Amino acid sequence: MKQRTILSLLTAAALALSACGGGGDSGGSASGGTGGPVGEPQQGGELTVLEDAAFAGSWPAGLDPATNTTGGSNIAMNQAIFGGLFLLRADDDGSNARVEGHQAESYEMSEDGTSFTIKLRDGIEFSDGTPLDAEAVRANWERALANACTCKPNWPLAENGIQVVDPLTISLTFTRPFPAILASFPTSNVNWIASPTALQQMGEDAFKIKPVGAGPFTVVDNQLSSVLELEKNPNYFKEGLPYLDELTFQSIGGDQPAYQALQAGQAQAYEGLNTTPLLEQAQANGQMQVTIQPATSPYVVQLNTEIAPFNDPRAREAIYRATDFDAINEGIFGGNYEVSQGFTAPGGKFYHAEVEGYPEYDLDRAKELVQELGGLTVNLGTISNYVATQINTALQTQWQEAGIDVTIEDSQLSGVIQKFTGGQWQAMLQTAGAWDPAAGVGVGFRFNSGVPYSGVNDPALDQLLADASSTVDEAQRDDLYQQAAELIAQNFYAPFGLAFAPANLAAAGVHGPGLTTKIPPLLVNTGVIWDEVWREQ
Amino acid sequence: MAVVEPAPSFSLSPEVDEAEARAGGRGRRWRSQLGTWIPAGMIAFVLVACFLGPTLLSLPSPVGGSVLESNQPAFSPGHVLGTDPNGNDILSRLLHGGQSSLWIALAVNLLGLVVGGTLGALSGYVGGWVDTAIMRVLDVLIAFPSLVLTLAVAQALGPSMTNTIFALAFFSIPAFARLARSAVLRLREMPFMAAAQLAGTSPSRMLFKHLAPNIAPQLITFGMLGMGIVIIIEGALSFLGLGIPDPAPSWGNMVATGQLSLSATPMLVVWPSLALLVTVLAFNLLGENLRARWSGR
Amino acid sequence: MTATATPRVPVSRDPRVSPLSRLTASPVLRLVVKRLLMAIPIMLGVTVLTFWVLSLIPGNAAQQLLGPEATPEDIALLEQQLGLDKPGVVRYFDWLQGAVTGDLGNSLVSRQPVSEILSARLPVTAELVFLAFVVSLVLAVPVALLAAHKPGGVMDRISMMISTLGLSVANYVLALLLVLVFAVSLGWLPAIGYTPLEDGLWANLRGMILPSAAIGFPLFCYYTRFLRGDLVDQMQQEEYVTTARAKGVGSWAVLIKHAFRNSSFGLITIVGLNLGALIGGTVIIEQIFALPGIGQMLLQAINTRDFVVVQAAVVIFALVAVVANLVVDLLYAVLDPRIRYGSR
Repeated sequence: MKQRTILSLLTAAALALSACGGGGDSGGSASGGTGGPVGEPQQGGELTVLEDAAFAGSWPAGLDPATNTTGGSNIAMNQAIFGGLFLLRADDDGSNARVEGHQAESYEMSEDGTSFTIKLRDGIEFSDGTPLDAEAVRANWERALANACTCKPNWPLAENGIQVVDPLTISLTFTRPFPAILASFPTSNVNWIASPTALQQMGEDAFKIKPVGAGPFTVVDNQLSSVLELEKNPNYFKEGLPYLDELTFQSIGGDQPAYQALQAGQAQAYEGLNTTPLLEQAQANGQMQVTIQPATSPYVVQLNTEIAPFNDPRAREAIYRATDFDAINEGIFGGNYEVSQGFTAPGGKFYHAEVEGYPEYDLDRAKELVQELGGLTVNLGTISNYVATQINTALQTQWQEAGIDVTIEDSQLSGVIQKFTGGQWQAMLQTAGAWDPAAGVGVGFRFNSGVPYSGVNDPALDQLLADASSTVDEAQRDDLYQQAAELIAQNFYAPFGLAFAPANLAAAGVHGPGLTTKIPPLLVNTGVIWDEVWREQ
Repeated sequence: MAVVEPAPSFSLSPEVDEAEARAGGRGRRWRSQLGTWIPAGMIAFVLVACFLGPTLLSLPSPVGGSVLESNQPAFSPGHVLGTDPNGNDILSRLLHGGQSSLWIALAVNLLGLVVGGTLGALSGYVGGWVDTAIMRVLDVLIAFPSLVLTLAVAQALGPSMTNTIFALAFFSIPAFARLARSAVLRLREMPFMAAAQLAGTSPSRMLFKHLAPNIAPQLITFGMLGMGIVIIIEGALSFLGLGIPDPAPSWGNMVATGQLSLSATPMLVVWPSLALLVTVLAFNLLGENLRARWSGR
Repeated sequence: MTATATPRVPVSRDPRVSPLSRLTASPVLRLVVKRLLMAIPIMLGVTVLTFWVLSLIPGNAAQQLLGPEATPEDIALLEQQLGLDKPGVVRYFDWLQGAVTGDLGNSLVSRQPVSEILSARLPVTAELVFLAFVVSLVLAVPVALLAAHKPGGVMDRISMMISTLGLSVANYVLALLLVLVFAVSLGWLPAIGYTPLEDGLWANLRGMILPSAAIGFPLFCYYTRFLRGDLVDQMQQEEYVTTARAKGVGSWAVLIKHAFRNSSFGLITIVGLNLGALIGGTVIIEQIFALPGIGQMLLQAINTRDFVVVQAAVVIFALVAVVANLVVDLLYAVLDPRIRYGSR
C-alpha cells in the first residue's frame, strides 16, 4: 500500500511539474509582446511553420498545382512557392476583405458577367529565369483544370474558353454569367502558376517534388507530408520582398505537440489551432500571439430530408427547437465565436446576423413536437476532429433533453464519404459555405438537389442559389442569398450553428498578414501572405 | 489460499521448497502470502470501485453531461474530480471507463490464454507438421507490425468494444502460443511426463490432465503482466482515432482525449493514468508473486 | 501485448532428429540457411496479409486523396490514373513481380520510387530504434542485477516502482511529458525535428534523445522487470546456484557468472520478439516529434491507402523481425553449445 501512495505522489508531482512548465515564462524568442505596436518590417531570419499532419501538413501527392490532390489544404505552401495571381487581403482586423491582383496587374469582367480578362504584371520571371506570361498561364490552367482535385475551380467554361489575347493578357469565356470568378482564384489551383519550361525539363514526377514557380520562395528540399524547406527567391518580382531568408513548413501530429514546440522555441508559427483549451491557455499566458480568424463557414446540422425521420418537417423542426448553439458556444468555446443562422459567417461575404423566421431554441416546443411524433430516434454523425466531436456530444445532450433518442458517431474522412454516398445517413454535423458562397466548396455542396453531400431536394432552393451565383450585382446577390437562407429556415432544412474558425499561433516578434493580422479563411485556414511575414531580429 | 498454495504437481523441483522452508522459515512464508494478498486486495478494490462504485456513490452518468457544467475544477459540488470539457463527471467516467478497460484487458488476455495457449501447447506436444504449420502462421503474425494490423482491423470493422478486443487479440494470441509451446517443450522432458507416457495415458488426457495444469500458472502470470499493456494499447488505438468510440469512456481513450490539450488540462490525463498505474501495479505485483510461488520458490 | 516472456534456455530435446540432418556439415550454416528459407513463406504471408488487411479498410487511395467534396467522376478519373480500377489480385501480383526483382514500385500517391522514399526515411527510424534499444538494454542489465542481488531490498523496491510506473504510462503521454519538462520548461533539448547526421553528431543526437527516451523507457522497464524476475528465480531455484554457493563462490559472482548467463537467454528472446513492437511504437512517437521516419510514412500511407508504400514498410518491419529472431537463435548457439541447432 505504501508503494502505491509513493508512486501516485510521484506521478502527480511529475505531471504537476510539467503543468507548471506549460504556464511558465521560458518561451523561445521573447522580444516584444503580444498586441504591442508593430515596428517597421525587418529583413532576414528564418521561420519554421508547423502544420497539422491531419490537414495542411499533409501533401502526399506533391506540390505541383496540377497534380496535387490535396491542394485545398496546401494553400500556405502554394502561396510561398508560386505567389499567386490573386490574393485575398483584408484590413488588420479582418474587415474589408477583398481579392486583389498579385501577379495579375488588373482584371476586367464583362458587363453580362460571361467573360473575364486578366492582365499580368510585366517582367515577372519564374525562378528558372523563364517569363510568367499569358502562355504560361494558359498552359497551367489547362493542366490544373484536368486535375481530379476539389481544389480545381468550378468554372462554367465555354468551348475554347481560355484565350491568350497578347503576351500579358488572357481571357476566360463562360457559358453563363459567373460573377464568382474573382473569388474563385485564391481558393483554387488555377491561382498558382508554375514554370512550364521547368516542368518539361524535369518531368512531372520530379517537378511535383521540387516545383518551380515565381513566388517569394524556392524549394530547397521537400519530404512529402513531412518537411518542406524553402529559401528566399532573390528574383522575386516585388522589390524588397520576401523579408525572410528561409521558410520551413513542418508537419506535426496535432495541436498539443505544436503548442509545445512553439513554447520550446523550435517553431515560430502554427496554422489552424482548433483545441479550445489550448487556445484559451495561449491567450491567457500571453507568451505567444493568438489570432482567431474571422469565420466564414458555420457549422450546420445537415438533415437528410429524403428518408425517415427527417422527411417529416415536424421532426426537423424538433431538431431546430432542441438545438441551443449559444449554450454550446458559452459552455465549450468560452463565447469566442458567433452563432450563425444561415450559411455565411461574420468573416464572409453576404453575412447577416439574423435570418428572418429562423426557428430559435425552444425546448417546450421541441418536447411537444417529439410527443406529437410519438418519439424521435436520430443518428448524428460527424468527422473525427476535436471541435466537431465536442459539438456533437453537446448536441446529443441537448436533444436528449427534448426527449429525442440520439446516438452519435464520428468517422474518419472515408467513413463520412461512405455514409453520404450510401444515402442512409440521418443527421450530419458539417461546415457549410465559404468566403464567397458561390466559390470553392460553396453552399450548393450542402444544399443542392442531387449532390451526394446534400440532404435537401428542393428546386426552389436550387433556383435561388443558381441565380445568386450568376448575378453580377453584389446587392442583388446579397438579397438572393438572404432569401435562400430564409427558405432553408422556413423548411427546417438544417439548423446552423457556431461560426468556427481556427486560430493561428505565432511566437512573439513574428508578424505578417494572415498570421498575426486577420484575413477571412479561404477554406479552413487563412491564406497567409508569406512574402510579407517578418521576424524581429 | 487454495489459489496460491502451490500444489505438488506444480513444483518442478521440490527440493528447493525444502531448502526455502529451512532458510526462510515462518516469517518469510507469511511475508510471501502478504505479497499475494495486498495486490489481490488492490485488484478487488479496483473492481469493486469500477463495477459497484457508480451505483454505490450514485454518481451522475459518464456521458451526456451539460455543456453548461463543463471544465469544473476538482471538489466542485457534486463532482469530486470535477468535470470534463463536455460537462461529464470525471469520477463517473473514470469508474465506467475502468469497466470497459478491465473488460477489454480481461477478454484479450483470456482469448490469448485459451486460443494461444491451446495452439501453443498442441504445437509443442504434437510436433511435426502441426507444429510447423501453427508456428509459421504465428510467425507471420509476430513478424507483422502489430500496429498496422490493429489499425487496419479497427478501421475496417469500425471502432467498437468487440472489434477492439478482436484487434488486440492479434497481439496476445501469438505471444501466449509461443510461451505455451516452449513451456510444453520443457515439460515433455520431465520424468513424470515420461512416466505418464509409459503408463499409456491417451494424448488428450496428457494434454488436459498433465500439461494444462502445469503450463497454466505460467500463462496466467503472463496474462497478469499483460493486463496493463492491453489497457495502454487500447489507448494508443484511441490516440489514432480508433478503439472505444466516444462518448463512452475507457481509461485508454480518456488519456488519449485528455492529451489533446495536455498543457491546458493536465488533470484529464492524470486521473486515468493514476487509475491505470494502480491497476497495473497490482496486477504486476500479483503476477510476480504468483510466478515466484508457482515456480516453486 | 508488446512482448513475450519466454522461459530461460529453451533447450528442447527433440527425439525426432532425421538422419539426414546429422549428416549436414556446419550446424551454424545449416541453421542460417534453414531460417532464411523459412523466412520466404513468412515474408510472403506478411505481404498477403497486408494486402488483404488493406483491402478491408473502406476507401481507396483515390477517394482518400480527393476528400469528401470530390465528385464520383473525379474519383473514377483518379482511380484510373492510379491503376486502382484493376482487380486487387492483379495489383498484388504486379507488385509481387516487381518486389521479387527488387523493384518495390512507385508510391501510388506521389509516384516517387519507394526505394527513394525509404532511403530518405530509413536512417531516421533506424537511429531512433537503435538508440532506444541500446540504451534501454544497457541500463536494464545493471539495474536488474542490482535489484536481484537483494530481492526485497531498497534497490529492488525502487526499480520495481520505476518500472511499474514506466509500464503504466502510455508512451505518447510520456513523450508529451518529456517535451514539457526537458524542452519547454528546461529548454535543454529540442521538442521537434530531425537534424541529419551530416550537420554534426551532437546536433543530431540532441534531437533524438527525447524521442528515443519515450520509446526506450517503457522497454527499459519491461526488460528490467523480466530480467530481475528471472534472476531471482535462478538464484533461488537452480541447483547449480546452490552448488556454486556451497563451494563458497561470492553472491555477486554467482549472480553474474551463473544466473545472469542463464537468464540472458530469456532476455534475448523477448528482445528479439520486442523489436517488431518497438518499430511499431515509432509510428506515434515520430508523429509527436515530427520526425521524418518510416513510422510517420506508414501512418500517412495507411491514411492515403497507398498500399505500395504500406507494403514496403511492412516488408521492412517484417524483415527486421525475422532477422532479429535469426540473430537470437544464433546467439543461443553461441552462448550455449548444448543447444541443438535448428530445433526451435
